[in-house]
Amino acid sequence: MYNHILSIVLFTPLLGALVLLLIPKEQKNAIRWVANLFSLAGLLISLPLIPWFWALRTQSGFKFIEGAPNTWIPSIGAGYYLGIDGISFLLIMLTTLLGWISILSSWNAIQDRVKEYYVWFLVLQTGMLGVFMALDFFLFFVFWEAMLVPMYLLIGIWGGPRKLYAAIKFFLYTLLGSVLMLLAILFLYFHHHTVTGAYTFSIPELYQTAPQIPYHYAIWLFLAFFIGFAIKVPMFPFHTWLPDAHVEAPTAGSVILAGVLLKMGTYGFMRFSLPFFPQVLDPIAHPAVRGTIITLSIIGIIYGALVSLVQKDMKKLVAYSSVSHLGFCTLGIFALNQAGLSGSLLQQINHGISTGALFLIVGILYERRHTREIAEYGGISNVMPVYATITMIMFLSSMGLPLLNGFIGEFTILQGAFIESKAWAAWAIPGVVLAASYLLWLYQRVFFGPVNNPKNEKLQDLTPREVLCFVPLILLAFWIGLYPKPIFQIMDQPVQQIVQTVRPDLNKPVLAQTPIPSAAQALPVEAGK
Amino acid sequence: MLHLALFLIFGVIAVVGAINLIAQTHPINSALSLVVVMGSLAAEYLLLGAEFLGAIQVIVYAGAIMVLFVFTIMLLNAGAEEQTRGSKVAIIIGIPGMVIGSVAVAWALIRAHTGAEVPVGSLYGSAQGIGHLLFRDFLLPFEITSVLILIAIMGAVVLARRES
Amino acid sequence: MIPSTDYIRLLPELILIVFGLLVMLIEPLLGEHNNRKGLGAIALMGAVLSILASFYQTGYEGAAFFDMIHVDTFSIFFHVLIGLIAAVVILASFEYLNLQQIRYGEYYGLILLSSVGMMLMSSAVELVLIFIALEISSIGTYILAGFRRNAPISIESSMKYFLLGSFATAFFLYGVALMFGATGSTSVYTIATTLAQGATPLAYVGIALMFVGLGFKVASAPFHIWTPDVYEGAPAPVVAFMSTGPKAAAFAVLLRVLFATEAPGWFWLIWASAVLSMTLGNIGALVQNNVKRLLAYSSIAQAGYILVAFAAAKDIGISAVIFYAAAYAAMNVGAFAVASHLANVGEKYVTLDDYAGLGRRAPGLAAVLTIFMLSLIGIPVTGGFLAKFYVFQAAMQSHLTGLVIIGVINSAVAAYYYLRVIVYMYMREPQRDVPVLKMPFALGVSLAACLAATIYLGVLPGRILDYAMASARVLVR
Repeated sequence: MYNHILSIVLFTPLLGALVLLLIPKEQKNAIRWVANLFSLAGLLISLPLIPWFWALRTQSGFKFIEGAPNTWIPSIGAGYYLGIDGISFLLIMLTTLLGWISILSSWNAIQDRVKEYYVWFLVLQTGMLGVFMALDFFLFFVFWEAMLVPMYLLIGIWGGPRKLYAAIKFFLYTLLGSVLMLLAILFLYFHHHTVTGAYTFSIPELYQTAPQIPYHYAIWLFLAFFIGFAIKVPMFPFHTWLPDAHVEAPTAGSVILAGVLLKMGTYGFMRFSLPFFPQVLDPIAHPAVRGTIITLSIIGIIYGALVSLVQKDMKKLVAYSSVSHLGFCTLGIFALNQAGLSGSLLQQINHGISTGALFLIVGILYERRHTREIAEYGGISNVMPVYATITMIMFLSSMGLPLLNGFIGEFTILQGAFIESKAWAAWAIPGVVLAASYLLWLYQRVFFGPVNNPKNEKLQDLTPREVLCFVPLILLAFWIGLYPKPIFQIMDQPVQQIVQTVRPDLNKPVLAQTPIPSAAQALPVEAGK
Repeated sequence: MLHLALFLIFGVIAVVGAINLIAQTHPINSALSLVVVMGSLAAEYLLLGAEFLGAIQVIVYAGAIMVLFVFTIMLLNAGAEEQTRGSKVAIIIGIPGMVIGSVAVAWALIRAHTGAEVPVGSLYGSAQGIGHLLFRDFLLPFEITSVLILIAIMGAVVLARRES
Repeated sequence: MIPSTDYIRLLPELILIVFGLLVMLIEPLLGEHNNRKGLGAIALMGAVLSILASFYQTGYEGAAFFDMIHVDTFSIFFHVLIGLIAAVVILASFEYLNLQQIRYGEYYGLILLSSVGMMLMSSAVELVLIFIALEISSIGTYILAGFRRNAPISIESSMKYFLLGSFATAFFLYGVALMFGATGSTSVYTIATTLAQGATPLAYVGIALMFVGLGFKVASAPFHIWTPDVYEGAPAPVVAFMSTGPKAAAFAVLLRVLFATEAPGWFWLIWASAVLSMTLGNIGALVQNNVKRLLAYSSIAQAGYILVAFAAAKDIGISAVIFYAAAYAAMNVGAFAVASHLANVGEKYVTLDDYAGLGRRAPGLAAVLTIFMLSLIGIPVTGGFLAKFYVFQAAMQSHLTGLVIIGVINSAVAAYYYLRVIVYMYMREPQRDVPVLKMPFALGVSLAACLAATIYLGVLPGRILDYAMASARVLVR
């Protein structure tokens, strides 16, 4: 099992989907049970990875490698080639966890076409895991594209009133981004051939040759990758598909979309854009490239937060807050230093946890009242106390209150940005403030005050199943908030390697010289030493 | 010189006949124009020294096939067809396109002409030459033509069958 | 004296001719109202035997009949492909003919005999033979297009196809004549050696005219205008046949003529045609509500993608074309087979509205059609993805970045209309009552075959890719 753990984790959900196909569609409860069993199995089976990976955390390179380059379609140099490092490990764990939670949360929400729903969801799960595991560009692209279809159908079939529009928009946006990326991948592939004489899509091998591509080509390749990933993240001018998709998607779809799918963009930046194109990102030779991206990130942070502030629909508010949060993540990545990258990765995990939870929260209210209008609610804390408490915790986590996970992530990112330029950090800070305002204001409008809408008087508080969905998320939020050190330790090695590739001159971590008292124990530097 | 003159004259007749074939509204007139085209083509073959082909052309096309055409037309008792106004696109794009195409082909043909003269009759125009080609080098295409005819007959049978 | 190996090199065609004649001879013996399934079975047997014969040819590669045909990996590949298309279409037609009350056994005979033409097109190395083979394949499909005798639209389709098709083959013939004028030969290889010493304008014109004829057959722009009308009117299984078989054969001829002769001046011809086909096909498809018309425009666009590979470097471009032809055949035959089943009596139900809610009424069929649509978009795990990937890879290798960018943008646009089919099936409620018939066994088998081929080419393409590569090497040599 140790040697094939990745394949097992990868294909467990797909196996579940195949088993579901055998169950007649009338037996809805049997289908629900089987789907939940398989998603739980997917989570449980990924747990052994934690101790195993922990033991290897300081080793460099990819671990748990499976398959080999060029084994799948030898004539074009594509292989079934899997492997993980700290970055993908964390995202994989997030995916298996959120996958289980989303499927658990869909129990009552989905009444129509139950079988198809779970089948597609499990297929999606495999696709997402595959993206994080693939070490072969071809395989990566296969998973990246294949994942589009189930997500498209999840939005399009089980979504809200404008689902068709949202689904098509989501599909076309992402497809356009990925075909451009395909061109860049092919260019890298042929470049590798001209340099070494071998055709291969193996990512570790392409790492060797891609950085030598001259700037005037590399900038275009970088741009192609950038657009592909920026649409997925989504970064500021490419974000317009996101609110539509989120608002129309079913709750579980939103959770997965925000929790995992968006991370593929940031993952792409960290895995590909940075190590492949240090020549483009070199902040001294070409400051404009990084400057532009950082500017877009900051615009995203502030724009997303401002738009959240004026939303009347809760789900839309959460959707726009994602744009803001992901702005922080890209800011951290393109700060191009240890603190920025680690903070960004941590914030990606945090965003998965807290925004995932926020969508669940909205979904629970929607299931009971079938509206997401903020004005429809008020005084909910009187009728649903447990729900109100959980919501409070997750709101605080999302807005970055110390002791909770969001704080550590945002703080480390800001620290990374601060090292590069004080102005960047200064511009990003309003985002934190605005986050607090839109979330607390939302909380106030929905939960405080008297119950003045008679429809809200009889609302049922959370069922045990619903509470179960939140438990792991709350635990994680507190754990990361109080003791993030192990997580930093896991990501330390790969992040260092990226920084070293992108900025070889920046070998000594600057963090050590800037003592920050409250988060001192959180700093990755300690772990690295 | 006489050869050339005759060749040109018959060429012009063939082209005029072909244009007339399209311009006529009554099928019989068109069919008769086709006879003119076929006949002048036969003359062209003769002038090029392909006596056998010329004879075949007269016997098969101008003779047998045209008789068949005329019979069919008479059996069907087809009258003059109505003149419709052709589509504008065909006139706007089609005619200039045709002119450009013909000019291009003519230009290419003139460029290809090297000035070297080929004596009349040196190409495979005789019965012997054609026989050699058909039953040796081009045996397969010749035999495969039977499939072509077969498939055409099959089609005719299907199309002609009365719907029950 | 013709050596006996020559006959082996012609064996698949001979088998098809024999079985075609058999069908034709038995047909009059059947009563007016008997169904023609028995004839179908005979035809199917013929197609299967010819596929086996093509495999058998592997040991007998070489020229035959005074250098008229060349049996090589390239020709064997296309023989097998065309044989498979014919077999699957015959299977898919069993119930269709009953349903539409078409009681002409010649249907099967015509499919077999026009396959003879297509097969010959892929092995012929002599322009005269290519022309005759082209005519055989065309005439067969002209007649097949008109087989729904009681539907005026079918007759119209047949007539249109016939008139425009004859016009196009005339262009081809004229091109052949000019080529003969330019090089003194009609043999592909002799032409190649002559052209290698320098090409005259006449040769360029000849190539251009031949391209017009073949461009018509593959439905590439600007010779594509006939496609939607003809596909709309012709019986659906016939469309499955004529949108893949003759297309594959015509691409085979184009490959031989362009690459083996190292034809001069073809690059921009192909480039322009590829761009036009992709763009016009996709734009046209965006507004279609009739599924057959939609697929017709899609097939124009697909021809454009294949032409992109033509513009690419020799060996890898050729193998991309070969692979694409196979993947395209699998998914397109499948899509039309589904359409033919849903169309019902008189092909009444062919608009997107009739597909609304299919995901509920016939989940299996909807799922299968979804996979074909995804394959046509080019989503991974399907043959369509790999085919497209391979084409763009080939073009990238030849530094045709502009063409590739136009291509990928087009394929993203194309996703919209393919998705519309999926949207209607799964996300729209039916407007009127559209009955779905029980899936007949034979059609089920043919759909399963297309599905299996589509997935196989997407997941384990290695062997076929290697074979395509080997065939490509035969051509460039």
